[in-house]
Amino acid sequence: MIRARKLCKTYRVHRRPPGLLEALRSVVRRRYEEVRALCDVSFDIAPGERVGFLGPNGAGKTTALKILSGLLYPTSGSVTVGDFVPQDRRTEFLHMITLVMGQKQQLLWDLPPAETFAMNRALFDLPRDEADATQKELVDLLEIGPLIGKPTRQLSLGERMKCELVAALLHRPRVLFLDEPTIGLDVSMQARVRDFIRRYNESTGATVLLTSHYMEDVAALCPRVIVIDKGHLVYDGDLRTLARRIRPEKRITMHFSSLPAPGELDRLGNCVARSELQATLAVPAAQVTEAVRAALGRLPISDISVEDPPLEEIMQEFLGGQPANGGVRSA
Amino acid sequence: MRRLRHYARLLAVQMRTSLTLAVQYRFDFFLEGALALFWLAITLIPLLVVYSRRESVAGWSFPEALVVVGWFSVLKSVLDGGVTPSLNFVVEGVRKGTLDFVLLKPADAQFLVSTARFEPWRILDFLGSIAVLVYAFHRLGHAPRAGDLMVGLALFGVALILLYSLWILVVSVSFRVVKVDNLSYLFISIFDAGRWPIDVFKGALRLIFTVVFPLALMTTYPAQALLGKLTSAHALLAGTGGLAFAAIARFVWKRALRAYTSASS
Repeated sequence: MIRARKLCKTYRVHRRPPGLLEALRSVVRRRYEEVRALCDVSFDIAPGERVGFLGPNGAGKTTALKILSGLLYPTSGSVTVGDFVPQDRRTEFLHMITLVMGQKQQLLWDLPPAETFAMNRALFDLPRDEADATQKELVDLLEIGPLIGKPTRQLSLGERMKCELVAALLHRPRVLFLDEPTIGLDVSMQARVRDFIRRYNESTGATVLLTSHYMEDVAALCPRVIVIDKGHLVYDGDLRTLARRIRPEKRITMHFSSLPAPGELDRLGNCVARSELQATLAVPAAQVTEAVRAALGRLPISDISVEDPPLEEIMQEFLGGQPANGGVRSA
Repeated sequence: MRRLRHYARLLAVQMRTSLTLAVQYRFDFFLEGALALFWLAITLIPLLVVYSRRESVAGWSFPEALVVVGWFSVLKSVLDGGVTPSLNFVVEGVRKGTLDFVLLKPADAQFLVSTARFEPWRILDFLGSIAVLVYAFHRLGHAPRAGDLMVGLALFGVALILLYSLWILVVSVSFRVVKVDNLSYLFISIFDAGRWPIDVFKGALRLIFTVVFPLALMTTYPAQALLGKLTSAHALLAGTGGLAFAAIARFVWKRALRAYTSASS
């Protein structure tokens, strides 16, 4: 469905040191710098796949999405979505895709979302009954019936994002480019938006490409991830495989009913977090069963759980100490 | 045919949205309407001052110059009501990156940005300007001849094309330099010179206002046509000029889209 070959994008940006004097100097003589946002990025995405773009801030994720949706021209390399070159902006192509941006909105600020929906219906030349049926279906799924008649500016961030999704999906696109669709939303709203995206993908077979600040989004939605760092593609594949490769260990979190004897914990594994009545151990995957058995036998355990290490940590390590996606963790 | 119907419907929806936006805030709606009439009255002051001291300027009598002013005001009301709001919409869209959403819609981007916003209360301005024109011909003591009126209306079309093409060129610049608020002020300030007949200007300025920023083609020629004073050569020049500007504007716009860098997320 999507095919990118040796994609490069270079921006020319104006740079100057801070200070008034430098600002005045830059009025007369401007210094420009070439910034490579993407460099030789190639990948293929099959129809119906859900793929996550990961990488630190400024890695080139959004640039990639904008090239795929035809907004930006690549400096070199080629890209096709379906049978189309996005930059041609063919009507059939634009009917096929949608781009949702968590940081920008298409809803008309002073008018109710229903007005934006009506406008999109006209823009995409959708038959009225078909558009009405889609709108009703989306509105019911997202439970925003009472909201679509209220002026957009009176809606909360989460409510606005749900309305954005309806506006973006009214024409039933087959390829979804989602650029941080859950940014700023609370945990339960994030989960609902995620759930909605998954259901849309499963019921329509649409291809989904997602970037997100929240690793949980990517972990929950995308079996495959493409990691971009400083414009280069550094990993393309299964998220769990990447996790196991970087951190082939499990986390055992234990709660104690009383203080464990000193030294007992260290014998079980590497202690990565510790408070008075709680401890987390990092244990190689193969030794987990043994470690749990030993812990239950030797320590005053009231509760115990085994989990994978947090994805943020894995990505941080993978990207050489940079916080993944700005290192923002969901609560 | 289906395409034409699609665009007609789009235009209707865009106009409906602008009207809905305009009436969303009632106070603002009435205030803008009143302001529109106030500015029309202000437009007449320089002319009244000049003609209070002399009978004619550069061969133009007061009622004749009033035809130019009336014509200028008609165009200005179209500019303020139909062109500038969309210009501001695009300039802001380029700066904030929200133009992304326009470019993602399956319709001609130039059409979409050109029809993005209207200010419906400018219709008052428009009607007031027509009243000025009617008064000018009343002072002249005769109505324009049918043939002259036809040429005048045709040149009105040419003037609109010119105005719109110049505006597209300004917008195209915004793709490259991003912030063009001052450029649009400059555009409006230069356009203001169109209230005077072209004969008032001499030398280089006259050439500039005929060829580079064709104010003459926009206001003086149509006014001359209404007064029955325009030669067919000049009418032809205006028509050709309009088409040339439209072609250049379309070409530049297409090129400018490639330079659109969006705004970062």
